Amino acid sequence: MTLLAAIAVPIVVGLWLVLAGRQLPRTSAWSVGMVAALATLGLLVAALVTDSAFDREWVGVLGLRLALGVDGISAPLLVLTAAIGVLVVLLARSNLPTGGSPSLYLGAVLMATGGAFATFAARDAILFFVAFELVLIPVWLLIHRFGDPHDAAARKDAGLRFILFTVSGSVLMLIGILVLVGSAGTSHFDVLVDAGAALPLGTQTLVAALLVTGLAVKVPVFPLHTWLPAAHATAPTGGSVILAAILLKMGTYGLVRLPIASVPDGFARVAPTLAVLGTIGIIWAGLVCLVENDAKRLIAYSSIAHMGFVVLGLASGTVVGLQAALIGNIAHGVISALLFVVIGGLKDRWGAVRFDAPLPALREHAPRLGFVLILGLAAGLGLPGLAAFWGELFAVYGAWTSGLGPGLLLRVCAAVAALGAVLAAAYALRVGRLLWVGEAQTPVEPTAPTETSGAERLVLAALVVATVTIGLVPHVVWSVTSADASALLAGVLGR
Amino acid sequence: MRVAVDWFALTPVLAPALGALLVLVIDAISPRARMPHLGVALVALGAGVAVAGYGATRAEPLRSLCLEAPEGACLYAADRMAGVLQMCALVAAAVVLLMLVGDTWRTGAGDPLRGGPAVSAALVLAATAGATAVVAAQDLGTWLVGLELATLPMIALVALAARREALHGALTLLVTSVLSFALLALGVALWVIATGSSTFATSGLRDAWRVPEERLVLVAAVLVLLAGLGFKLSLVPFHAWTPTTYAGAAVPITLALATVSKIAALGALVTVVRALSSVVQAPSATGVVVALAGLALISMLLGNLIALRQVDPVRLLAWSAVGQAGWVVLPLVALTPAGTVAAAGYLAAYVIATAVAFIVVHLVHGPVGAGVPGRARELSHTAGLARNHLVLGSLLILALLSLAGLPPGVIGLVAKIAALQPVATPDLWPVAALAVVGAVLGVAVYLRWVTMLLAAGRSGGPLQRMPGSRLALLIGGVALVVTSVLPALVFR
Repeated sequence: MTLLAAIAVPIVVGLWLVLAGRQLPRTSAWSVGMVAALATLGLLVAALVTDSAFDREWVGVLGLRLALGVDGISAPLLVLTAAIGVLVVLLARSNLPTGGSPSLYLGAVLMATGGAFATFAARDAILFFVAFELVLIPVWLLIHRFGDPHDAAARKDAGLRFILFTVSGSVLMLIGILVLVGSAGTSHFDVLVDAGAALPLGTQTLVAALLVTGLAVKVPVFPLHTWLPAAHATAPTGGSVILAAILLKMGTYGLVRLPIASVPDGFARVAPTLAVLGTIGIIWAGLVCLVENDAKRLIAYSSIAHMGFVVLGLASGTVVGLQAALIGNIAHGVISALLFVVIGGLKDRWGAVRFDAPLPALREHAPRLGFVLILGLAAGLGLPGLAAFWGELFAVYGAWTSGLGPGLLLRVCAAVAALGAVLAAAYALRVGRLLWVGEAQTPVEPTAPTETSGAERLVLAALVVATVTIGLVPHVVWSVTSADASALLAGVLGR
Repeated sequence: MRVAVDWFALTPVLAPALGALLVLVIDAISPRARMPHLGVALVALGAGVAVAGYGATRAEPLRSLCLEAPEGACLYAADRMAGVLQMCALVAAAVVLLMLVGDTWRTGAGDPLRGGPAVSAALVLAATAGATAVVAAQDLGTWLVGLELATLPMIALVALAARREALHGALTLLVTSVLSFALLALGVALWVIATGSSTFATSGLRDAWRVPEERLVLVAAVLVLLAGLGFKLSLVPFHAWTPTTYAGAAVPITLALATVSKIAALGALVTVVRALSSVVQAPSATGVVVALAGLALISMLLGNLIALRQVDPVRLLAWSAVGQAGWVVLPLVALTPAGTVAAAGYLAAYVIATAVAFIVVHLVHGPVGAGVPGRARELSHTAGLARNHLVLGSLLILALLSLAGLPPGVIGLVAKIAALQPVATPDLWPVAALAVVGAVLGVAVYLRWVTMLLAAGRSGGPLQRMPGSRLALLIGGVALVVTSVLPALVFR
């Protein structure tokens, strides 16, 4: 029941804000949103402590049940979602995007959070799909209404592209789910683990191919990634944070929960292709980052590279790789949120952050913000002691030791991915040089104060703490995930 | 031969039929009366809804017109699915009448149709009786008569708006209906030849299916019936009448075409497919499967593709009806009983959402009297609706998202899941995979309109007094919201 409440509170309050809250003044709307976000976090903690679960029939004919529960794989993502929800609402205190009433923005944020919550908590494959779709319209609203105020056409295009890409992916995934559920005779995750693995190899491969293709759009995996840079470049800061830290995670979580857990043999046949595509994504996105001039697009491409490591870890079919993917997920969520808050904040202040135009040097005008930027970049390039290190290192290691795929294919992938980490260092230094040191053609003075303050500073502080904590003590995450991750892969490793 | 008649079970058919008669009698006694017609019609429809709803909750079908043993077959049997469809048809008819007659209550507005409320009410009730009959019909005679009873009054209703476009639309519908009837009659004849029986009972069918020659005739019968019903369901390539007639008729009548007529057509198709599904396991009916899959996919793609370019909201909804017809037929491709249930559920979800959309369009556009050339309808007239009229805007957005299959329109999403479920099998999955394109195109169609509703716009003028349509919107809106929370009300 507590878990159900943790999902219902943001959705119901969000709906109320969108429908009835238009006349609310900014502060009251914000207070309502904040109370709801905090209540969600509180309810989630309560649900985790009490191990809350819920199971009730919803649409009997379809075998669709409202089955909710938490395990080691979803718990870190639920905490991440709730925390990001609070931070995005907190950020709206100081950086509220224009384009609609404050309550519409906050309502959309809350509904997106609630939908992501339902996705991570669903224990029924069809309910998982319904929750997956729940997030689309709120996030579309964030991009379409609250995106870049200077460019209406780009907003429209980015919003439409986001929704059409993700819908095509999710309907493909739905077909995969329905084939799986129809063949296995159940839609409950706990039962699917055994029932799915017992299916004939042909069916397993079909299901795995449909599921992986569908989910690859959301992750996104090269070459299905083209919606992400456009969406990130136009979305408001809060929207970008939600996209990077929550939405993309739904894709990788789906990969873990559906193909890997339910049709292990089928996934093993698809995995080499996925590994190759993930690796191409790492290199491709890294190369783009070396030349991309729009800072938000650059961060978006670096997201694709990071998700490439996550995908590589998943595709390795090893426990180490899966653990790497799970912690890489969380790490990327925190780091990309941090970078988007920094760059998005700068974009709000300067109108645009482009590397082919004169830029002020951050280290002079905003040393605190500059420090956070450097920390985020350092974490992004995978420095030891910061969050992304563990995910990337062990994803490469997992791929190296994997027994999947023909010949040395996965070892080649591992080696190439390691090269991708070098590219990450190169582009991180490029951003640092241009934005922090200020080596742009003609340094300029910023027109307005640049230093971070108020709610933004609080948000950044929280994200910095998280980045360092996960980097220094990865067991925070691993201790939660390890048992379930090993159990999940027992099917693959047993053969 | 004695026939056991359970009058109670027949209420969903008899109540609207008697209502139609009663309306005409009242009109003969008191020609100036207006609201009594509406009252009688609503009471009749309400009685039908009550019994259909009771049927929808029972495990056993409501049977009537049963022959004596040893045959023991019933000519009328309404199972749960039929009950849901009958309820939808009856409520939709009530909504249509509220919009047609209710809007003239104390507003001084002219009648939207020639002939006044009595003629409108009688025709709508007659068509509804046909629809509820065909949904539960178990023999070819009732089936064909019900189907035509559901169609013919519609032609008159379209024509009664007495505008040039309306007459054009009515003529198109008339030609289409004649063609469709010819095909249906031919199909029925072939069916009787193949099975030697004039019912949909499975015994004769099973014997016919075993003999290769008779199987051939049976498949031909089904294909011809499919073509005939394709006209009524607006499946490509039988869809050409739809945009002309939808745009020509008065909006309440268009709503009736999109709801009551579609329910009759799908009910008819479901009856055929269900009969066939009980025998086709071996050998399978490849020809029928290919025909159904082809019709479904082409309708889905073409309908949505053309809907993308429409500027008249009614034409957009007409083309989207073509696309949605593809989705309705998609689950039937599996030729299983579960597929027929999914098709009926999808149609019910579609009917609720499209009715809300039409009612909002009607409210924004305002009433148009008979013979009055209507103001041009444009999507841009609804721009900014979500900001200026919160209730209208939100309900229209919910309806459109439901048609697109996106939450918060959960009922539409559940309908899409249900429609894909029967074809998501290791054999048929390519059909489902192609439907993905249809789903994405559909999202683009409806989102284009939603974008306009959310934008800044000048749709802020005060709404005209249309009490009937407002009540209709209340009914439709409540149905849409409630079924979005509890989709099991429709999918049973």
